[in-house]
Amino acid sequence: MSTINALKIIDKGDYALVEFDLKGEKVNKLSGPVMEQLRQVTDELKKSNYKAVVLKSKKNKIFIAGADIEEIQGIKDKTECKDLLISAHNIFNAWEDLPMPTIAAIDGACLGGGCEWALAFDYRIATLDKSTRIGLPEVKLGIFPGFGGCIRLPRMIGIQAALDIILAGKSVVAKKAAKLGLVDEAVPKEILDQRVELFIKDITMGKKSKRQKKFKPRGKMAAVLESFLGRGVVFSQAKKMVLKQSKGFYPAPLKALDVVKKAFGQSRAKAQEIEMNAFCEVAVTDVSKNLINVFYLLEAVKKKTGVSSDIKPKKISHLGVLGAGVMGGGIAQLAADKNFPVRMKDISNEALAIGYKQASDIWSKKLKRRRITKHDYQKKMSLIGSGLDYSGFKKMDVVIEAVVEDMKIKKLVIADTVKNCKDDAIIATNTSSLSVTEMSEAHPKPENFVGMHFFNPVHMMPLVEVIRGAKTSDEATATIFDLSKKMGKTPVVVKDGPGFLVNRLLLPWMSEALFLLEDGMSIKTLDRFFTHKFGMPMGPCRLLDEVGLDTSIKVLKIFQNSLGERIQVSALADKIKSTDRLGKKNSKGFYKYDERGKDIEADESMYKDLGISSSRSDSLSQEECIERGIYQMINEAARALIEDKIVETAGELDLAMIMGTGFPPFRGGLLRYADQVGIKKIVESLDGYHKKLGIRFEPSQALRDMAANDKTFY
Amino acid sequence: MSRNVVIVDGLRTPFAKAGTDLKTIHPAVLGQKALSELIAKTNLDTELVDEVIIGNTGSPSDSVNIGRVVALRSGVPLKTSAYTVHRNCASALESVTSGYEKIKSGTMDVVLVGGTESMSQLPLLFSAKFQDIFGEFAFAKTLGKRLGALKKLKLAHLKPRISVVEGLTDPFAGINMGQTAEILAKEFGITREQQDTFAARSHNLAVEAQKKGAFKEEITPMFVPPKFKKVIHQDIGPRDGQSVEKLAKLKPYFDRKYGSITVGNACPLTDGAAMLLLMEEEKAKSLGYQPLARIKGYAFAGLEPERMGLGPVYSTPIALKRAGLELKDMDLIELNEAFAAQVLACNKAFASDEFCQSKLGLSKAMGEVDMDKLNVNGGAIALGHPVGATGTRLVLTVAKALKAQKKKYGLATLCIGGGQGGAMVVENMNV
Repeated sequence: MSTINALKIIDKGDYALVEFDLKGEKVNKLSGPVMEQLRQVTDELKKSNYKAVVLKSKKNKIFIAGADIEEIQGIKDKTECKDLLISAHNIFNAWEDLPMPTIAAIDGACLGGGCEWALAFDYRIATLDKSTRIGLPEVKLGIFPGFGGCIRLPRMIGIQAALDIILAGKSVVAKKAAKLGLVDEAVPKEILDQRVELFIKDITMGKKSKRQKKFKPRGKMAAVLESFLGRGVVFSQAKKMVLKQSKGFYPAPLKALDVVKKAFGQSRAKAQEIEMNAFCEVAVTDVSKNLINVFYLLEAVKKKTGVSSDIKPKKISHLGVLGAGVMGGGIAQLAADKNFPVRMKDISNEALAIGYKQASDIWSKKLKRRRITKHDYQKKMSLIGSGLDYSGFKKMDVVIEAVVEDMKIKKLVIADTVKNCKDDAIIATNTSSLSVTEMSEAHPKPENFVGMHFFNPVHMMPLVEVIRGAKTSDEATATIFDLSKKMGKTPVVVKDGPGFLVNRLLLPWMSEALFLLEDGMSIKTLDRFFTHKFGMPMGPCRLLDEVGLDTSIKVLKIFQNSLGERIQVSALADKIKSTDRLGKKNSKGFYKYDERGKDIEADESMYKDLGISSSRSDSLSQEECIERGIYQMINEAARALIEDKIVETAGELDLAMIMGTGFPPFRGGLLRYADQVGIKKIVESLDGYHKKLGIRFEPSQALRDMAANDKTFY
Repeated sequence: MSRNVVIVDGLRTPFAKAGTDLKTIHPAVLGQKALSELIAKTNLDTELVDEVIIGNTGSPSDSVNIGRVVALRSGVPLKTSAYTVHRNCASALESVTSGYEKIKSGTMDVVLVGGTESMSQLPLLFSAKFQDIFGEFAFAKTLGKRLGALKKLKLAHLKPRISVVEGLTDPFAGINMGQTAEILAKEFGITREQQDTFAARSHNLAVEAQKKGAFKEEITPMFVPPKFKKVIHQDIGPRDGQSVEKLAKLKPYFDRKYGSITVGNACPLTDGAAMLLLMEEEKAKSLGYQPLARIKGYAFAGLEPERMGLGPVYSTPIALKRAGLELKDMDLIELNEAFAAQVLACNKAFASDEFCQSKLGLSKAMGEVDMDKLNVNGGAIALGHPVGATGTRLVLTVAKALKAQKKKYGLATLCIGGGQGGAMVVENMNV
């Protein structure tokens, strides 16, 4: 193994200071070479006469970010996995067994493997800096703590608190960590060194020594739950929670729970053996590989600018929003939440009031949950201004248009807005279905016009489609891409075209639900197949309700016009149109809703309205239902990616689907899923459905070519 | 070259009687709304603002320098100084004159001024005795001592001190503001009927002004949290069809036996805020603004606290002299209507040779106040008087009215609790 120089021992007289500084990287991580060096450093310290050892990071805002994810991604089989773990355990065990007390001086992120190393110290001091977070996010990557975290954490902070962190992949700030007993002190960043010196003084004077910190429950209730008998209750409750949240799709948290349960109270060697074996099982699963791929896609966005040239985004200090409805109000709320001063413009004070209410409701909820203070609430509210005219628009750097989905009106509004803004203001449209290129004709400088498609509800949905019209400039694209990130969203650049990317792919699936109902499926069974068997957050019927039945059907018809006969619409669509069912917005759709808008149950009276029998046969197989929905999406995705080049890479397409529709991350994305199923098999199935059910299943040329040449999307 | 100070533009919230539509809104929020909307309306680059000066009398305990709170929440940069001024009823005239002086002297070029008040949110206070007992209880170390402290508590100790009542009582003369108006009514022989007639006039003019949209230019709507069902876009006070007959039914409030001041011919307790953007004239022009009005001069003057209602009569001649103008030059006058009796007493004093000579040392009377020029859109009896905001409202209203009526000079003046008067003369820049 190559030798690197990431860890440096500095002789401080009484004690050794170990500095961690991984050269050529922004963050410290525990890669193979680093672990090898750590082994040598540990050996050296073991032989030394230092009275104490202190570990510090030289990186800004990072203590240790974790293990090297690429190495985890690269693990192919269980033997290879176990070798790696045995070596890691030996190193951490040796560190734990050093003859002198050890102190981790934690400033910045201390996560995953980094946290697990910190657990092998005698003492931990963390700073109150915002960047300092300590935790074990492994389950988010489809694995769980494998460097002893499942063993040392429960012992240190108790089973309940440990499960809370491990199973949800949580991290905590220093103050909370101190409360949990995860660190010994939470101190202001500026005096970290002073406190460390005091600890060392205590050690040299014999007041502090080697120890193995053990959790002592506070209060009777905690004592009972941590006791041998109480543990059973804790574990079974945790299991219920995990099953509910993961719907059984994510094996890692369950495995982790099992490890904590079995390893608790065992000898170190035995406990580590249990952890290793279980870890190796999950590390090689597709779920883990897929989740790691999604993590990479997200990391990539952070570095991207949205354009291929090196044009820089413009600085944005003031935002305008046209329309204070659900989308406009939502955008204004989000902007203010991220500290942008924002102004809404609408045609009546009553319309503006709705925008304010939406924002206030979101923050009031956070206030109630103590996520923000009343001062934060007031500060955020005061960032939102409003008016019936263009007051203040001369200062706007970006204006986001969110008025009604009507090309004529939008064009009028855009032309009007341009006249009231400074020359170089960028105008973005939040349209979900209209052509950005056509709309840009209303702008005298179409290069400053771009699409910025948020999804509803704006504060929850992480995706923004940044849509380049035919004349949109790199600068406008980069600016909106950057703004999306600053608003906490994941942007994906797409080309103009019907439904852009996400809606174009989603709609055939939603549309297929109507055909499946025609064929005898019930709303409940159909939606359940997609949620509980495939992993979508909502079934297609529930999603039709969410979007609005009128809107969905309207957009479907638009698609039919622009994409041609391959977009087939079930006869049930017209039946729905003839009823007063609008979906969730009037609490009348495929589902019944309570007054707070929560779905109660499938509305059985829907069948009658659709003119189909209310006794449902549910005769189609789960496989057929899922294939008819998902394969159509894949077919459309191949057209969008390869034929129409709506999006540049398969990765961006997958990211957009995961962030925009909640496509199950454990499947790695739509195209990753297609690759795993096999393109040939998909084409064969589609051919079959094409013959049996209609042209909507006809495989695209792109997909056929891939099948013929044995190609994959990745 | 001498520097002129101009009002670029101004904006205020609607005024609402205390305890009604705006009662839940903190004065800092009222002020922020008026100020941030003014900043938007003028597309002002806030980097240019040299200072923010805000009038307020209630000093909310959670925002003691409320001027700074309003400034920061309105998007004024952190680097910019902001403070609060208090001259009782003229706090928001004091803010305007402070801004005027700083610009006039050449110290500053751009100043945001105004005032805000929520009289709904003036607190009830604990009695001194209760505070003592509470202190003893809080610092007691043993349960016995705590119980001992509690034992001393009597029901009477829980009677609160009402800060709005205390605030409206003159601590020098020891009488309430209403009682000072009673003194003027009696001394100047102003009858109940005259007062009620004037009060009805205020309502009727205000209603008319609302109908023709006279306040549209100066009011920004308030969206009422937390439900946002209500949008208040005009003053709540004016009553359509207010009449002498209806007002005559009210009982005197301050002197039940011999008095004539009622809640109907006095201004109500009110919530609201008003803001102005002041600039040096050349600066305003260089930034491309067409200012609303030029400030020609101002004055504050003192008198007996028990006759504080005559304040305008004392301050106006000095302000006029500083502006180089006379009362007859004024095309429009906004004289704050604290009490109908007090306004009518001022009118008599303005027109009285004897008063002007003996009290003001003038050679003769300043002259009759032409009722067609006075409070042409109604006054505080109808619109309300949020004490910390009114001074700015008067200047704003008179400047907007001058513009609308294409008149040249206007006077804004008001009486001040504690025995003072304030006055400001402005010149329309749009004729």
